[in-house]
Formats: sequence, C-alpha cells, structure tokens
Amino acid sequence: MEFTLEREKLLIPLLLVNSVIEKRQTLPILANVLLRLKNKKLIFTGTDLEVEVTTSIQAVSGKEGDITVTGRKMLDICKAVNEQTEIKVFSDGSKLNIRAGRSRFTLQAMPAEEYPTLETMDWEERITVNQAELKTLLDKTSFSMANQDVRYYLNGLLLELGDGILRAVATDGHRLAKSEIKVKTGKESEIRQVIIPRKAIMEISRFLNEEKEKVVLEFNQNHFCARSGEWVFTSKLIDGRFPDYAAVLRPKLSLEIDLQREEILETLARTAILTNEKFRGVRLSLSENRLTITANNPEQEEASDELEISYSGDEVEIGFNVNYLMEALRSLKGEQILLKMQDANSSCMLLDPNQPNTQYLVMPMRL
Amino acid sequence: MIAGHEFSPPRVMKRDKKSGGWWQRAIVLVDMNAFFASIEQLKNPEWRGRPVAITNGRVGTTIITCSYEARAYGVRTGMRLRVAREHCPELIQAPSRPEIYARISSRIMRSLEEITPEVEVFSVDEAFLDITSVQRLHGSPVEIARRVKRQVLAASGIPCSVGLSGDKTTAKYAAKLNKPDGFTVIPPWVAKERLEEVPVTELCGINRGVGDFLAAHGVTRCGQMGRLPVSVLAARFGNLGRRIWLMCQGEDPEPIITRVSPPKTIGHGKVVPPGTTDRQTIETFLHHMSEKVAARLRRHRMEGHRLFIGVRSDQGWIGTKQRLERPTDDGQVLFYWCRHFLDRQWRGEPLHQVQVTALSLAPVGMQQSLFDLSGTRRMALNSVQDQINGRYGEFAIAPATLLKRSQMPNVIAPSWKPEGVRETVL
Repeated sequence: MEFTLEREKLLIPLLLVNSVIEKRQTLPILANVLLRLKNKKLIFTGTDLEVEVTTSIQAVSGKEGDITVTGRKMLDICKAVNEQTEIKVFSDGSKLNIRAGRSRFTLQAMPAEEYPTLETMDWEERITVNQAELKTLLDKTSFSMANQDVRYYLNGLLLELGDGILRAVATDGHRLAKSEIKVKTGKESEIRQVIIPRKAIMEISRFLNEEKEKVVLEFNQNHFCARSGEWVFTSKLIDGRFPDYAAVLRPKLSLEIDLQREEILETLARTAILTNEKFRGVRLSLSENRLTITANNPEQEEASDELEISYSGDEVEIGFNVNYLMEALRSLKGEQILLKMQDANSSCMLLDPNQPNTQYLVMPMRL
Repeated sequence: MIAGHEFSPPRVMKRDKKSGGWWQRAIVLVDMNAFFASIEQLKNPEWRGRPVAITNGRVGTTIITCSYEARAYGVRTGMRLRVAREHCPELIQAPSRPEIYARISSRIMRSLEEITPEVEVFSVDEAFLDITSVQRLHGSPVEIARRVKRQVLAASGIPCSVGLSGDKTTAKYAAKLNKPDGFTVIPPWVAKERLEEVPVTELCGINRGVGDFLAAHGVTRCGQMGRLPVSVLAARFGNLGRRIWLMCQGEDPEPIITRVSPPKTIGHGKVVPPGTTDRQTIETFLHHMSEKVAARLRRHRMEGHRLFIGVRSDQGWIGTKQRLERPTDDGQVLFYWCRHFLDRQWRGEPLHQVQVTALSLAPVGMQQSLFDLSGTRRMALNSVQDQINGRYGEFAIAPATLLKRSQMPNVIAPSWKPEGVRETVL
C-alpha cells in the first residue's frame, strides 16, 4: 500500500476513528486503525469490538493494499508534522513508513486480516433523520443514562421506533429523560425497541453536526448503524429489557407550578453550594404563592432562597438531588417550564409546556 | 485592615519555668499500661505481680498483650504462646474479654471528660486531652495532668502513664519515656530541644516508609529536620509531610479530634484454619462475615454501595471490589456476591483469612427509586432478627448454616471508639 496526502486531509479521519479506540486494550490489535486503499478510496476503521467507525477519503491515488497500525501514534505523528505538509505513507507488510518533509517514521504493523471488523449485515429497518435533530434528541436524554450500573441495560439509551416517532429514553433508576422526534417509518410494523450502549451514544453525538445534513439509521436484532456521507458508525445493542418507562411517566401529579427556567436554575445553583457534597439534597417547600428552596450540609451551614409563584394548595415539602433537577432544567431550552409534583414519595416532572414531548422525571430524596 | 474591625491582641500567656503559669497550648496523652493485662490482674487478684498474657480466647495462640511482669521475661505482643512459655514457663494465659475492656475504657474516657470536653479517644487504651482552655478552671497544666492520672486510677483502678507537652506528638513521646505508671512533662518551650537527638522514627506517625525517605535526605534525628526545606516533605507527602516537618520540631499543629467521623467502610475479617481448601468452610466464614457486616450496617442505618470481598492465600490477597445493583444492608445479598466471587476468582488455593467490607456507605434509602422497590419482606425479616439479637446477643438467631460458624471470640478493633459507629466490639 502506498499513498500521499496532505496532513490536514489525513488528520480528520484519524481523529474520528481514534475516538472509539480505547486507551487500554485487551487485544493489542484493538489499539490499531485499519487502513485500506481500494478503488481510489482510502478507508479508515477503528473499533473497540462494541462500536466500530469507518470513514473514508475519496480519489486517493497510489498502490492498493491494506494494513493496521497503532492509531494513536499515527495520529500523533500527523499532528506533529508541519501544517500543509505532504505526507507519504507506504508499507512493506510488517512495517508502515511515514515520510513528511525530512521526517521519517517507521511503525510496527499488523496484517489487516487479523483486524476484527463487523460483518456486513442485513438491516431490518431504515430511517432517515436530520443530523441536528438526532443530536438534539440525544443531548436531551443521554445525560440521564446510568454509568457502570450493574443493571447493564440502564448503561445505555433506549431508542423506540414506531408510529412515525423516534423516541429516546434514558434512566439511571433515580431520574428519567424522554424525548421524541417525528420520522418517516418505512413499514407500519410493530414498535421496535433497541438499547444502544452508553459509549456509542457519547461518540455518535460527537460525530453529528448541527447542519441540515441527513443521517441514515439502520437497525436489526443485534446492531445499530448510523450512516452519513462521511462516516459509518456501527454499534452492538445491549441485550436486555429496559424498564417500563411508560408506566412511570403516567403518574398522578396534581400540583402544577409555572416557573421561569433561568430563574429557578439560578436559584438552585446558589442553594446547591451548601448542599451535602455527596448527596446533593435540596428541599423544595411550597406554600401560598411561594417556593422556598433550602439546603444544609454536615458542617451545619445553610442556604435558603425564595421564588414567587402562583400557588394556592396545601403546604408541601419535598427533597431532591439538586444535580438531577439542574441537569434536566439545563437541557430544557425554553423560557417557561412546568413543574409537576405530588408528595414526598412521588416523582416530579419537568417539561417545557411548548414542547411537551420532552419530559423529565426525578424521584425525591428523603432528607 | 478592614474598616470597623480590630484585631484583638493575642492572649498573653505567662511562661513560668516552674510550670506554675499558663501555657499557650497544653496537651495530655494518657496511655493505659498493659491495659488488658492490667484489667485481668485487677479482676483476678491472685494474678497480681505475676506474668499474665492475653490471648484470643482459650484457642488463641498469639499473645495480644501481656503484663509488665511477663515483659520482664522477654514476652512480647505478637509472640506465639508456645515461644513465650519458653521464656517464661509460669506464664498465665488469660482469654481476652473485649466487652469488659471496652466497658472500662468507656468509663475512663467518660471520667476524662469531667476535666475537659476536648478528649480524643486515640485507641481503646489511649486518649489525648487538650487542656489549654481549662487552665483557668483547674490550674496549671502540671496540676491538671496529675489530676488526669488520679482520675484514671479512680475510674478504673488501673495505673496509667501520662505525658504532658504543648502538642500531641511531644506529649505522646513524653508518655512513652516513663512506663509503667509514669508522669513526664516536656514544657512546650523546651520541646524542640528535647526532641533534638530523638530518632525521627520514634515519633508517632513516622513509619518506616517516611523514615526511609527522611534518612535518604539526611534526616535521622528530629534536630536535623530544620535543615530540610518543608517543601521537600510537602512535595512527597502533601499536608502530612508539612505536619511531620513541624512534629519533629515540637510544634505538631494537629488539633484534638473529638468528633468521630462517620465510617467510610464497615468490614469484618477472620482468620480461617490455616490452609483451608474446603469450599463449604470458606463459605461459612464468608457468610458469617456478611451477616456481621450487614447487622452493623443496619444498626447504623447505613447501606453499602460497593463491596470488597477478599480471601488470603500464601500468595497474598485475592480480592474483588463489586459495585452493587442497589445499595444494601442485607447479609444475604452480601453473601450472594461472596459466592459469586468464589465461583469466579478462587481456584482452590489454600486460604488462611477472609474479609468482607461494605464500601461507599450512605445513609439508608435517601434517594428514592423510579422502578420497583422489592425486598421489603427481607427488610422486615432483618429488622426482627436485629431486635432478637439485640436482646439475646449476637447470632441468637441466624441463618442455620451459621451454626457451623467460627467460635473464635470477638476482638477490639484498633479504631474502637466509646460511642457511635465504632463502639462495637468486633
């Protein structure tokens, strides 16, 4: 294999594939990026066995071939050479040589046949969405995913497809985020649910741009794939049963309060300074036209703040993890929000009344 | 200076070389001499003046501590009983009675609080007192320190060694100089001078690691410390390094810590018969430890979010840290993970110790859960079990498999405290 490319052209695909390569690997070859030059197309692949990314550069002339080499080192070399330098890359089978100006590098290589790539597969469902729309959907929900929970199915995002809707749900068992966008579903089949691993979600939302470009999503029993003009992102699915989110999203919440989003967010942020660093508990107390937010910590320090609201029901006091409330409030973008509560043992719901398709549930804390 | 505020002048303390006046800072360290052995001699008058060694029950073969009479024969803590008898054939073996020791220790600690509320229980047989602020009330530091000694004797009938100085480290060093039944005063203004020729490793808190580091930098005696820039120690040991630097110069800044901080972990371990390879035996030990950990978690209304399980073989510890699906205070859940651990990580190596520790503790059930909260039956069962055991003693009711549990008696942990989470005799 042999090709010559300008540094800047080579950098972008190397950055993309390196993002999925783990820092520490169980198999040495997983540190590598797979390079393939065929039919004037230079294809880069990176994998961690769960997530695979492929990206390519068109119209590359040179000698066809394939090889694998440590992704991190190749990226660092390309970063370190002077800007706009022509980089020549060629291999003799066991080594990969890089020449840039007067710099010469020789990297250990491993054969392409040993690289664990995902098989080409049959997709059962395919939809097309705007990249920006998908990115918003993921950003509104992904922060609620669990991290390293033993309930492995919570360490991912539920995507639900059906009835012209793509719905994303994430929960760590204490709070839950749900959002949805309209899509054209191909066949009016039954509702499909897939759980996409946490890492895949974090990576893919970095790949998506805010422009109006399209991305094609494909699903089958075990895999999920997102395909844009520049890259193909494939991930295994989590094989598990996601909790019945719909059941918890239908609570009887009789107390409704309208709030200015910025105002409540700033108030919580102030109060949060004096919460217990570990448990982050704040008390929300409702009384006649007033919402009082208080916090204290083991050092006996206290914070208290008040908001004027329109409220005339019973006095209620409920404790929450302030981080859960703030994260939900930050991802709601509108000016107004609606806070629905019931009592100290029921979840509260946060939503933008103008965009009721995005909802957040937070379970209280006993303080 | 900020307008409207005035700095009050520092309190002037009279430095009286005859120790009649007030000290800037006065710290007392009380050290019970051969505490467990002294108690046994007190309770068994016929043992007074004779060599007594405490072992863990009748079956224990290692000496936990021994009387001064035994020490005179060369008997030491940690010695095997068999070896000790070679030194001292008439050695009396006294099975340890930790509940009694804990009770007497509590009594001593409470009596010390009559002198000052600033008492730090350093271990079951040691306490620091900050008597700086009670000098007006009780008199000179030397008078107060003498009263401490009398008070301990009155509360327990046991002699103690007392060290008095201006900081914790020097007070502790002073107490060590004169044992048993000693009384040593190092006034703060001579502390630096008195420590000058003392090897740094003699001070409490300077272990071999720190000692080796200091020796490599040319500091073996406290007096040499001043030549070493404090930044060298700070760079290697952080704040502890800064403290050590001051300690060696008789200026240990550490305050008396009266508050018992909540535990970061709750764990139990036990020695199993050496070379055990029988899975059933190992399981019984781990189950036993799991139930003990769980009962203590429940007593303090805590739950563990993570779990450490370990077994020790000749090659060292084989252990795992397990993140729990939900935080738990249930011995059955802990034991489930113990078995899971044995399945996965134990290859049948001969073992001699087991350990179960709940980590990342948090108060019970603060954050509520969106999905199912089953396990309420187990909670009810555990609560009844706790009530029965609280009344009739540990393991009065227990899972049937624990009938075969180890009968090795409980011991007092080094971090024992008279109240709070650490008041238990393990």
